Amino acid sequence: MSNNKKYWTSLEEFSNRESFQEAVSQEFAPASNGLNAFADEKLSKANTGRRDFLKFMGFSVAAATLAACEAPVVKSIPYVVKPEDITPGIPNYYATTYYDGSDYANILVKTREGRPIFIKGNKSHGLGKGAINARINASVLEIYDEDRLKGPKSGASDISWTNLDKEMMEVMASAKNVRILSNTIISQTTKNAINAFSAHHAGKVKHVQYDVVSYYGMTKANQEAFGKAVVPQYNFEKAQVIVSVAADFLGSWLTSNLFQGAYADGRRPENGNMSKHYQFESNMSLTGSNADVRVAIKPSQEGQVLAAIYNALNGGKAQVEGIESSVFTKLAAELKANAGKSLVVAGSNDADAQKVVIAINQMLNNYGSTIDMSNHLNLFAGNDADVEALVAEMNSGAVDVLIVHGCNPVYNLAHLNFAAAMSKVKTKVSTALFADETAAMCNFMAPDHHQLESWDDASAMAGRTDLIQPTINPLYNTRPAGQNYLAWSGNNSSYYDYLRMTFNAGYTPAMMDSDSNWYTAVHNGTFSSNAPVVVDNVDAATASAMAAVSAIMPSAPAANVTVSESLSKISSKKGGKWEMSLYTSVNLGLGNHASNPVLQETPDPITKVTWDNYVAMAPADMKDMNLNLYIGEQEESSLVKVVANGKEIILPAVATPGQKRGTVSIALGYGRGANDEVIGKAAYQVDGDGDYIMDGEKRMTIGKNAFVFVNKGIYANYDVTIEPTGEMYPMASTQLHSTVMGRDSVVKETSLAAYLKEKTAEKGKASWNTANTLPVHHDVNGDGEITAKGDRVPVRDMDLWAEHPVENVGHRWGMTIDLTSCIGCGACITACHTENNVPVVGKDEVRRHRDMHWMRIDRYFSSDFNTLEETKENKGLGTIAAYGDMEIPTENPQTVHMPMMCQHCNHAPCETVCPVAATAHSNEGLNNMAYNRCIGTRYCANNCPYKVRRFNWFNYVTNDKFSKFNPAQDETMRMVLNPDVTVRTRGVMEKCSMCQQRIQAGKIDAKKRGEVVADGAIVTACAEACPTHAIVFGDLNDTASENIMRAKNNRSYHALEEVGIQPNIYYMTKVRNIETEA
Amino acid sequence: MLKEASIRQPLILGHKTYHDITKDICGPIEGPAPREWKIAITIAAIIAIYGLSCIAYLVGTGIGAWGLNKTVGWAWDITNFVWWVGIGHAGTLISAVLLLFRQRWRMAINRSAEAMTIFAVIMAAIFPVFHMGRVWMAYWTLPLPNQFGSLWPNFNSALMWDVFAISTYFSVSLVFWYIGLIPDFATIRDRMVKPGMKRFYSILSFGWSGRAKNWTRFEEVSLVLAGIATPLVFSVHSIVSMDFATSVVPGWHTTIFPPYFVSGAIFSGFAMVLTLLLIMRKTMKLEAYIHVKHVEYMNIVIIVTGSIVGVAYLTELFISWYSGVEYEAYAFINRFSGPYSWSYWMMMTCNVISPQLFWFKKIRTNLAATFVLSIVVNIGMWFERFVIIVTSIHRDYVPGAWGEFHPSGIDVGMFIGTIGIFFTLFLLFARYFPVLALNELKTILKMSGESYKKEAEKH
Repeated sequence: MSNNKKYWTSLEEFSNRESFQEAVSQEFAPASNGLNAFADEKLSKANTGRRDFLKFMGFSVAAATLAACEAPVVKSIPYVVKPEDITPGIPNYYATTYYDGSDYANILVKTREGRPIFIKGNKSHGLGKGAINARINASVLEIYDEDRLKGPKSGASDISWTNLDKEMMEVMASAKNVRILSNTIISQTTKNAINAFSAHHAGKVKHVQYDVVSYYGMTKANQEAFGKAVVPQYNFEKAQVIVSVAADFLGSWLTSNLFQGAYADGRRPENGNMSKHYQFESNMSLTGSNADVRVAIKPSQEGQVLAAIYNALNGGKAQVEGIESSVFTKLAAELKANAGKSLVVAGSNDADAQKVVIAINQMLNNYGSTIDMSNHLNLFAGNDADVEALVAEMNSGAVDVLIVHGCNPVYNLAHLNFAAAMSKVKTKVSTALFADETAAMCNFMAPDHHQLESWDDASAMAGRTDLIQPTINPLYNTRPAGQNYLAWSGNNSSYYDYLRMTFNAGYTPAMMDSDSNWYTAVHNGTFSSNAPVVVDNVDAATASAMAAVSAIMPSAPAANVTVSESLSKISSKKGGKWEMSLYTSVNLGLGNHASNPVLQETPDPITKVTWDNYVAMAPADMKDMNLNLYIGEQEESSLVKVVANGKEIILPAVATPGQKRGTVSIALGYGRGANDEVIGKAAYQVDGDGDYIMDGEKRMTIGKNAFVFVNKGIYANYDVTIEPTGEMYPMASTQLHSTVMGRDSVVKETSLAAYLKEKTAEKGKASWNTANTLPVHHDVNGDGEITAKGDRVPVRDMDLWAEHPVENVGHRWGMTIDLTSCIGCGACITACHTENNVPVVGKDEVRRHRDMHWMRIDRYFSSDFNTLEETKENKGLGTIAAYGDMEIPTENPQTVHMPMMCQHCNHAPCETVCPVAATAHSNEGLNNMAYNRCIGTRYCANNCPYKVRRFNWFNYVTNDKFSKFNPAQDETMRMVLNPDVTVRTRGVMEKCSMCQQRIQAGKIDAKKRGEVVADGAIVTACAEACPTHAIVFGDLNDTASENIMRAKNNRSYHALEEVGIQPNIYYMTKVRNIETEA
Repeated sequence: MLKEASIRQPLILGHKTYHDITKDICGPIEGPAPREWKIAITIAAIIAIYGLSCIAYLVGTGIGAWGLNKTVGWAWDITNFVWWVGIGHAGTLISAVLLLFRQRWRMAINRSAEAMTIFAVIMAAIFPVFHMGRVWMAYWTLPLPNQFGSLWPNFNSALMWDVFAISTYFSVSLVFWYIGLIPDFATIRDRMVKPGMKRFYSILSFGWSGRAKNWTRFEEVSLVLAGIATPLVFSVHSIVSMDFATSVVPGWHTTIFPPYFVSGAIFSGFAMVLTLLLIMRKTMKLEAYIHVKHVEYMNIVIIVTGSIVGVAYLTELFISWYSGVEYEAYAFINRFSGPYSWSYWMMMTCNVISPQLFWFKKIRTNLAATFVLSIVVNIGMWFERFVIIVTSIHRDYVPGAWGEFHPSGIDVGMFIGTIGIFFTLFLLFARYFPVLALNELKTILKMSGESYKKEAEKH
């Protein structure tokens, strides 16, 4: 029983007065404990009591904590209805065409789950077997650029397409003079649309075309000679002697990607003959670096050289200052001996020079064999005279409407001061994808689709029409540029319908499904087969008859040129103390790829400089001017001021061996976005912390715009001044050492004559590719004596380790790289980059010598003498001084391009040293890298004789330092990443995997079909991108594979064979068509 | 009691009694911390904290915080590692090898030399651990059972051997050092009046009672441990050298490395012991126990090991030429004439030329000169490792990949930081631990004490 006895705690309670009751009812005694706020009248009356408040508080804190802990939700939503052609994990390929105003290629676009992620050549149906270059390959990133225009704009504000069309129709109605400015348009459909537009607005419209780098001089000369203002096709593979006067035909001249393969095909020493390549140029171009004979000249001498060749061929006097006349006599003799099988080209845009070139080729009977005038190019149809007239017209204020169609004249017609002229035009419209220099000045922006989003056609040459098809739905609210003309002339059909109509007059939507020709064309990416097709309606019999005739008698059109006047004009050019030539960067092209971080980081093939343009100078000149010759982490380059044509640019000077003394060269295509336009995050300079470097209020451009120096259509200036500013500027180069230091087990080379002499020698026996042997302590040669000289065995037979059981068991993947064919273009580098999600690390990291390229191309210049002994003997130097001397490239060096990637050694030094066995050998001969297992000691990288392993110094995917350029850090651009390849995390080692993902895919594919893996069915990204067939990948256990044939060839060798690591990659001795053995 | 020849110089100067020894060694522990000590430990701790924040930054950002690059994958990190491990060697050599050879002069210096070993090995361990790109996976180097299937470390790798070598070395040294400390801790315990401290030292002294049985066990264990530790003196640095010797890098792949590294380690270790002791004897007033004789003995070790190192350098040069291997020849030519030749000549001057000065008795018995030269030797030995590591890999086989290395602020900060941590630990040791093996020292007082010797002469 409980008792109800009550105890009082105080007298107050006992008395239980009212005041006490009140005090008890309050939780806190008033004004007694500093918690007055809680005792507040209002609070105590609130619905939420203190305890409730605490409960809520506790709950909210717990909830907030929980919410904060939650991992970010990654939504991967499966297809509810699976698209017919898309299976997750299986790539689809679409044939389409790449054309950006200068580069042209038939391509296959790899898409995964609807996203284009890789571009390769269309080998079955493409021009030049679908040859592409680094620019085209890496351009796949650009579709995902976040800075692209998201829709049409009027001034700074967004506008709908309907309203834009309405406003434009009003503008058009009142306009008197409407001008369209574009690069060469090769789409018949677009041309039709423009014609329809012109017809609708009769008498008002004029279309002007220009090329960013003009070939107007050439077309003008051809107009005069053949009556056709076109650029012919060149067949480099048919030429036995190639003479190029400042034409960088392997890097940037005309359709260079199509020339590369043809050039290499003419230079396969196994065929017994190799073309001989002469190059006259002032800067060391990619082409010049491959020449057998390279003569450095000044830009003003280009004409004189051509005249000298012309004269020499005519038995006249050939004299050019600084060049021995014997060069011309020999050259002329060789040209004559190979008449009809030679080719003379010139890079000059001077019509007179081109006339002389025509005359020379005519004289050599090259038309119809190495030069094809009948199947001429449709590209490069720009007319400089028209452009100049347009600028004058605009300046006079007579132009009311200017439609800038897919080009950027404010940037690349800077020499014509296009911006000033443009400001006088009332209404300006741009169809650019970005608010670029030109678009930013326009009243309307009508952004075009990216090419990978659009339908179009393209005809690069007479008799061939290719198709452009979309590989993805348009990402943004854009519209094909051609459709503007339809819309603005009251035609409501879609551009696709219009395109179909162009190719099928009877086209109706109902017939769409029955048009098999169309679908074949879409599938192949072209209406043509590989052979040029005659589009005129000739019947089959006539066509074959024509083919037969042309086979017998090459169509050699009679050129009608008188050159005496041209000769005197071109040979009378005088240069000043300093001359300048402008060239196109092999990686960056003409500036349209400025915001492509992969291309910015791909090193220049000659100087290996990334992320900048510069003034290329002869090292001797730089020494005279006391400029810094060396690019390094701590060494900054000296800035120089170049003045020409009243314009000046300050750029860093870079020592380039082979540059003619007294000349400088500057790459075009840099310095985009000088007014801080929105042209892509990666187009501006970023400092070591990942912030933009500011130039006042604006972001600092990468390099400077050298288009200001274009000199009346000529890409050279004959009298410039150059002076050091005394300031320094950091430059980034991926290769810091230029010469091979006489290490002939790294690079082997020989002359054609020496090669032919021992062409059939057993592998390892030829004097130019001797197998490495080691002396042993037993009587190998059986002469009863043991000597170090006689008793030697091949390094291969000396083995510390147990053999990997890879030979003749299953697959043994390997690669052969022909140094004779490799021209150093770098297409493999970008292909590898995109295929394998290689991070872009930016200029600051490249300066720290930390580029991540899985494959690089080592470029070696020759020094004065090739070996230590020769150097010591000829220069009278001791060993130390001789080594020092060999570090310096000679003035006009020979160049070797050596692709270098993981050699997948069978006795890989990296494998033995890894403490956790993260890198191990596969039973297919590959050196595998298990990223998950790697703890990042970098021991493997140190122990790699080729230094091909790359370490993830940072988390490139999240570290702010890389936010401006690493595609993996960009919301949209990361869509380009290859889902088959892991994006590596910080702290692990990575390297070439020989495209393991492709090998696996190929094996699975073969297995599904129940077949063995066919030779050539699996191709690595680099081998696939190689335009010259220098890189061949395959199964070394497949006795019939091309790869093993090449590996067994007597030119094949292992780099650093004597280290005994038995690589699976073979190099093939470089053969040069030179007089004496190198 | 053994009598020592009177012509032998005494090891304990002045008239010291057993009690004096106890007082001299235990006094500093019992008294209040001197001002100099407070200043010194503050400076050391600040540097240590800076070093630790550099490590934190490194772990937070990535190895890119260092100046390494695609060609030079190791530089200051492994240089510091080898340098610190090398320094550690003197301690073990003094306590183990000299114990086996019954060198009594070691008694004055072995305690602090061993402490130095322990701390140096800890400093050394920092570098290979934090040089890993993914340091949180560092335990993967241990052969632990795991759920990854039968995934073991790679026993072919010299780095793997390093893990075993260093951890064995550390644990043996630690046990050896601690065993030696037990009787001394007991002495302190017995003298301590502050109850807290008394408790602290009584735990540390493991209930040592000083009975004959205790002493027998002590002697036995010491001998056994000395026996175990002696091969470690040679094995640890041999194995460290195999990180390089088992590689294919010209300039690393050298069979001379194990003996050359061991003598280099002893060389630098003794130099470091000298640096520390010369300061300690002054500040802690131990001049009677550590005096010119000890310094001279150590300087002799430095001459011997320094000369071995010098011969090794010349042998390397000769072999690089004699081998006829192009890459090896170039690696060495590049060492003394290439971009890093300054570091080569720094190494040559500090390591080969400077210790030769100790041939002069005046110099080797001059404490100031010894102090300066000991620091010079340590600088030289740091450069030796730098030369071996960086100049070999910065230009190895393929010239297209050649590069250079430049340290970053974090590289420097971490190195300086470890010096700070090292001195912090050493100062704590000097304050709270008996810096001399006082009980051992007492065993030779009557034999090698100056006053006892003089007295004995009278008889």
